[in-house]
Amino acid sequence: MRGDLQRLAEAMGVKLEWPREDEAILRCPQDAFREIAGELARRMTLSDFFATNSSGSKPHLTAIFQAPGEPAWLLVMVELSSPSFASVTPDIHAASWYEREIFEMHGVQPVGHPALGPLRLDQLPVPPAVGRGGGVGVDVLPSPSLPRPRPSVTGQGVFQLPLGPVRSGPQESAEFLFASGGEDIVEVDLRLGFKYRAVEVLAEGQPMDWALHLAERMAGTSSFANGLAFTLAAERALGVGVSAACDDTRVLLAELERLQSHFGTIGRLADTTGLLVASAQYGLLREEVLRACGGIAGHRYLRGVLRVGGMEMLPGPAARGQLQSQLKGWAVRATGLRRLLEQTATFIDRLDTTAVLQADYADEHNLVGPVGRASGVDRDVRRDHPYAAYPTVSLAVPTIADGDAEARFQIFAEEIAQSLSVMAQLLDQWPTSEGEGEGEGVELPVRAGSALGWVESPGGETLTWLELDDEGRVVRWRTRPGSVVNWHPYAHACGSGNNLTDYPVIEASFSLSVAEFDR
Amino acid sequence: MSRWIAKGLKGGIHTTRFPETVTTGEEGAPSTVRVRLQGLNPAVALAASSRCPTSAISTDGSETAGELRFDAGACVLCGRCSREFPSAFTQVRDPRVAVVSRDRLRATFSWDEEHELAPVSLQATAQLLQQATSRLFRHSLHIRHVDAGSCNGCESELQMLSSPYVDLQRLGIFFTPTPRHADVLLVTGVVTHSMTGPLLETYAAMPSPKLVIAAGACAISCGSFENSSLTNGPLDRLLAVDAYIPGCPPTPQALLHGLLLAVGRAGERYRAGQEEPDGA
Repeated sequence: MRGDLQRLAEAMGVKLEWPREDEAILRCPQDAFREIAGELARRMTLSDFFATNSSGSKPHLTAIFQAPGEPAWLLVMVELSSPSFASVTPDIHAASWYEREIFEMHGVQPVGHPALGPLRLDQLPVPPAVGRGGGVGVDVLPSPSLPRPRPSVTGQGVFQLPLGPVRSGPQESAEFLFASGGEDIVEVDLRLGFKYRAVEVLAEGQPMDWALHLAERMAGTSSFANGLAFTLAAERALGVGVSAACDDTRVLLAELERLQSHFGTIGRLADTTGLLVASAQYGLLREEVLRACGGIAGHRYLRGVLRVGGMEMLPGPAARGQLQSQLKGWAVRATGLRRLLEQTATFIDRLDTTAVLQADYADEHNLVGPVGRASGVDRDVRRDHPYAAYPTVSLAVPTIADGDAEARFQIFAEEIAQSLSVMAQLLDQWPTSEGEGEGEGVELPVRAGSALGWVESPGGETLTWLELDDEGRVVRWRTRPGSVVNWHPYAHACGSGNNLTDYPVIEASFSLSVAEFDR
Repeated sequence: MSRWIAKGLKGGIHTTRFPETVTTGEEGAPSTVRVRLQGLNPAVALAASSRCPTSAISTDGSETAGELRFDAGACVLCGRCSREFPSAFTQVRDPRVAVVSRDRLRATFSWDEEHELAPVSLQATAQLLQQATSRLFRHSLHIRHVDAGSCNGCESELQMLSSPYVDLQRLGIFFTPTPRHADVLLVTGVVTHSMTGPLLETYAAMPSPKLVIAAGACAISCGSFENSSLTNGPLDRLLAVDAYIPGCPPTPQALLHGLLLAVGRAGERYRAGQEEPDGA
């Protein structure tokens, strides 16, 4: 791949830099961007695309590509001399929402975008830029106003049924406008962005540990994954490494988070199909995992345990021993419940062929995480670009091509088994001499730097781009959690031959985070 | 289906005895933070305030005199103060941390010329809820929850209220999808601009008498997002709040205590500036 990229760069006459072994930067002129991006998309996957317009750096675009099966990330950077660029969406469908976000947040116009308009709510205040220190000097480009593109369904007897933003139970706020002829879902208009808090902007100009604190609090059920992506990016930017004990602890906690999240997901799926006992059993398991998190890390959602260059805590022998004995019980119960669910016709019938996402559709949208893997997208950064202690454990990545709610259930269930196996492997090979519960960390250099961080969160691949100034403060923090990608095909999946009564099943089977999307 | 029933019965009872009996630390995590007077001095106060990511610990910046302002309502349980200054800050593991007055979460500690800790200025005891209102809701309570801009942590813990460990329904408390049937509005999150309208409309649609509960640091004080220009919060700027449940997120039992406190079925325990009460 390395040679391949070098040849491509030379053919295009652009500069290729390798700041790190696995991270290349391609500096691309504004007018050549569309051609180069289209060329790259043929052999790589577009994983993120955003604009930066912070004080201390010139306005520029960054597109992040990854190569399947190659330990390499490619960042294409385009310095902007005018507030518009040729849209790449006609060539790369997955760029559509990223370009709308760039337009919405920075007023930079992707010319030729087939459905341009804001991504979140219509009246998002631009610019959303006020930092903790009382305002960041952002040079805002002129923002043309356009309405948010929305599906239009007409026909005899078609009506609109709104759901949200205030939901029926304790759920996150989002609005879904169903176009229906009675029972069928013809089309869904997704209205997200009610919870937009400008988390990334709040971090600008702030010290690293404060930005890490924000990363951890952006989304509750993936707190640790988002914090870890930030921490890894910061450590790469500063060129520091951590001890093996820290790496082991990070993976252990990341898998505990996946476990509680997936137990919650299957519990909700069982609840939406009316299986209250199953839902209660998964609720028990989830509460036990949350308590284990609290016992080990002092926080049920694992907040406040990460530190750039180390960990605030390492699990002591007692905590590890207790977890080891709990793992066995969880594995037995999770397997039993899964078998029982598979044999329950009322459960499987509701999930089978519900909200199908075809493999080619999933591929076109570059889907990530369990949702992608249930539609045949064989991608997992824990395996493809292993980080922390993942190189030391064996991990199988399950994929199914069916793309329906049942396939997603199977993926979640299989990932629970894999998580339990990864944790058991880690605890088995844990050096007995290590860790008495105290944290540890390396001395951090104070200097400028930038790097990419990546983590497989419970919802899928989470990418973080971090730029630090020479005082160690955040110039730009961009985070692209898995849910951001997986919301994109959601409306399509809802509308593919499903009824309104299927909707709770569909929502539970995707298990997407609104807070991660809104940010 | 019969196999599920057998499965459920075989599992036995897991439900906590809370609130009849309180097992401190049962949920494995702290509920909030308390100040320990004996370990407090101006230097520690200043150092702790520089480590606090929110406005939970603040000082006037003087190393020798001055005061420490502590606000458990802004505490997001990052753990830095109790880890780095254990003599001055300690984590509270008793889940009964909800209070009916915002002032109960605040305390000011000041030092005189000789660096001696002056008497703690605790806020005056707030009046209890109107007895008549709380008596109305003593038996059954219907909750309308609104996420006004949270991270989903609070929702996650609210969902755990229905798990067998807590089993909210055994106490006659239910979530309701419609504001028309609701007695209490339970709000999580910072109250973003976009959620302000839906929140106030939900409140208006509820019949009187009605109660409002702020759950979590975001609803109480905007927590980690206090500098975001996109919030109208904290909640008590918009609505009169009857109970505050600190935490980030509050644990299921803390949420339960807050609900019972709001309707007069449980008492207040927590004071920001007081030592651990007996038996806690």
